[in-house]
Amino acid sequence: MVYEEYPVLYKNGDNILWAGKHYNDSDWSANQTSNADSVFWVRTHINILKNPDAMPGIKVNAFGAFEVYWDSVRIGSNGRIFQKNILEIPGTEATVYNVPDSLSGAGMHILSFRASQSYLPKEKRGFYVELDSYKSLLTLPLVITSVMNIMSGAFLIASLYYFFLYFNSSKRQQTILIFAVICLLFFTLLILEYIKFYIEIPYTKFYFRLEAIGILTIIIAILVPLYFTIQFNFQWKKVLLVILGISLIGIYIFNYRHYDRNAQYYSMCMWIASTVIVLNAILQKEKGALLVLSGLLCSIVVNKYVVYDFGLFISFTIIVLCMLYLHTIRSRVIEDEYHSSLLLSSRLQLELVKKNIQPHFLKNTLTSLIDWVEESPKQGAEFIHALAAEFDIMNTISEEVQIPIRQEIELCKVHLTVMQFRKEIQYHWEDKGIDDAEFIPPALIHTILENGITHSIPIAGHGIRFCLQFLKTNTYRQYTFETIAENRIPSRTRKGGTGFRYIQARLTESYGDKWEFTSEATPNGWMSTVKIYTK
Amino acid sequence: MKVLIIEDEARIANRLERITRSYFEENLSAITICDSLQKGLSYIENNPIDLLLLDLNLNGENGFDVLESVVAGSFHTIIVSAYTEKAITAFSYGVLDFVPKPFDQERLETAFKRITTTTKSIEKNINFLAVKKAGTVRLIDISELHYIKGAGIYSELHLRNGRQELHDKSLEKLQQLLPDTFERIHKSYLISLVQAERILIQPGGRYGLLLKNGEVLPVGRSRYKDLKEKMI
Repeated sequence: MVYEEYPVLYKNGDNILWAGKHYNDSDWSANQTSNADSVFWVRTHINILKNPDAMPGIKVNAFGAFEVYWDSVRIGSNGRIFQKNILEIPGTEATVYNVPDSLSGAGMHILSFRASQSYLPKEKRGFYVELDSYKSLLTLPLVITSVMNIMSGAFLIASLYYFFLYFNSSKRQQTILIFAVICLLFFTLLILEYIKFYIEIPYTKFYFRLEAIGILTIIIAILVPLYFTIQFNFQWKKVLLVILGISLIGIYIFNYRHYDRNAQYYSMCMWIASTVIVLNAILQKEKGALLVLSGLLCSIVVNKYVVYDFGLFISFTIIVLCMLYLHTIRSRVIEDEYHSSLLLSSRLQLELVKKNIQPHFLKNTLTSLIDWVEESPKQGAEFIHALAAEFDIMNTISEEVQIPIRQEIELCKVHLTVMQFRKEIQYHWEDKGIDDAEFIPPALIHTILENGITHSIPIAGHGIRFCLQFLKTNTYRQYTFETIAENRIPSRTRKGGTGFRYIQARLTESYGDKWEFTSEATPNGWMSTVKIYTK
Repeated sequence: MKVLIIEDEARIANRLERITRSYFEENLSAITICDSLQKGLSYIENNPIDLLLLDLNLNGENGFDVLESVVAGSFHTIIVSAYTEKAITAFSYGVLDFVPKPFDQERLETAFKRITTTTKSIEKNINFLAVKKAGTVRLIDISELHYIKGAGIYSELHLRNGRQELHDKSLEKLQQLLPDTFERIHKSYLISLVQAERILIQPGGRYGLLLKNGEVLPVGRSRYKDLKEKMI
């Protein structure tokens, strides 16, 4: 449509002649000055320069209730105008009317409104008129809405998926929940933004929607940087979020009711906060930081060069996609950790199996065994039975991650019997306060016992004593294992051999980082302590 | 014969002692058992011995760390160990034998026999001779050896670079350790055949061996025939 616009003019009062094409409106005001309980008229001239190809339509943005006249002919209405003793029925803010072809030929035309605005009388927003083909005025919002609904649908599904993921996962991650909430809010934001095209909202409720959109935007503008602070291990998380929160609320208060501009400000705050976090993440060499930075730069370009309405949402979408990407990176890390834990478990299993087939144990045992069999076959047979018993227990526990403490003690005792045949030293075993219901990683005490045997010299007449004690409190469970003997002087300082590494790896496998292991010399010999925290 | 056993497992140590006693019988003048490396090493420092039976893994400590210093001693070393994969390395350092655990009487006695006879059939994978010098141990690659001259209970190692080192082992003991390419040409000389050029017959019916570097070493009358066969 090719046409010339003229200023919109207002006059309080009511006269049907004011709809006339040739009426002189030179004394009309350029500003709306209406009252709550009176009717007013609005006029604007339109010069159609060329006969339109299709049926023209008018889009009107205004508050109030009104009747629309085109060259004195009433072509439509919006709500019901205030009359004496009859309340106004408020119209909706945006409406579209078709103009009959017979009235829309090239030349000057007059568009006039008989109007009232009984509610929100202080909101004198004025009337805005746009002429276009009637068909495109109707279909354009439809096209936009359909695209936006596709986008919001995607966010709804993502949100549901991540909510389900969060609530069904055994290890609930905060970031998943935040991401699900962001997706849900974003879905709501998109729906609220474009609901105006298919639901008629009376102008009296017009600001509710905008308020809701504003608040949603503020929450998203906080949650997105929060998500990045967690994913990128940002150190000054609280400081940044407080500054961000204050800025957002400040904008809301000081720039009240500038909805469109505020949305831009909010998203700018979010952008700045996110960029600070991402730059810091690049310095910290966090995975995925560079990609998120490029996403952020991309979003600012889109926001700058694409018309506002879409621009903001597309840039939001880019940021959310970055978050999704980060999430997949994090999932990958968790997956890798899981695999390496599996690997660790199988390595520890192997380690356990190796204990009894490593040459030092096996060959020395066999050498002693030959000697016993040759020298005193009866005891040799006893030795063989003890060895078989140790192998039996090892075989049963070799694939377990935890075993009953009694089984562990049994293993230690039978190992002592074997070692007694080999070393010909008197070994004594004692245990106190053992809770039979307790479980422990396999060969944990056994490994400490082996160290005790290797590094101790028996006390004349008493041999070597081993004492295992158990203590349980509200916060931890503790095993203390004491070797009462004389310590061998090592030729150089030992830095915890494979035995210690096995113990530490087993404890980590079962208890994460909620354990402590100490091993030190005491006046009586040696003391090892395993402390497992319950909280 | 004075024997030292370094072994931390009482039962095995006793077994070693029993077999040793029954093999050497009245030739055995002393036998001692130490159950740790430290005790064993300090015993070696203070007491002369002829034979060491050494376990390589003692109370969690690696016996290999001390192998260099014990093979530099005047006595022969026999390793008794569970770690058979270490045998080649042990031989390269110049141990007399490596007896893998578990062992029987026969196997240990085979090792003992090496002390008294220079059997040709046994593997000799020695790569180094360890030499004690100013408290530290130096390893000399045997390809560096020119010839060895006996000097009482010691031996002088004459190296290709012209230098000389003193080894605590006697010429007899070194000959037992060194491969067959080393030939005893005289009661005081052990040479690497690779270094020999030709045999000289000197006036007075004496024989000499011309080395590639021009040096001439005496050849024992009784060893001349043997050497001549090998030179051809």
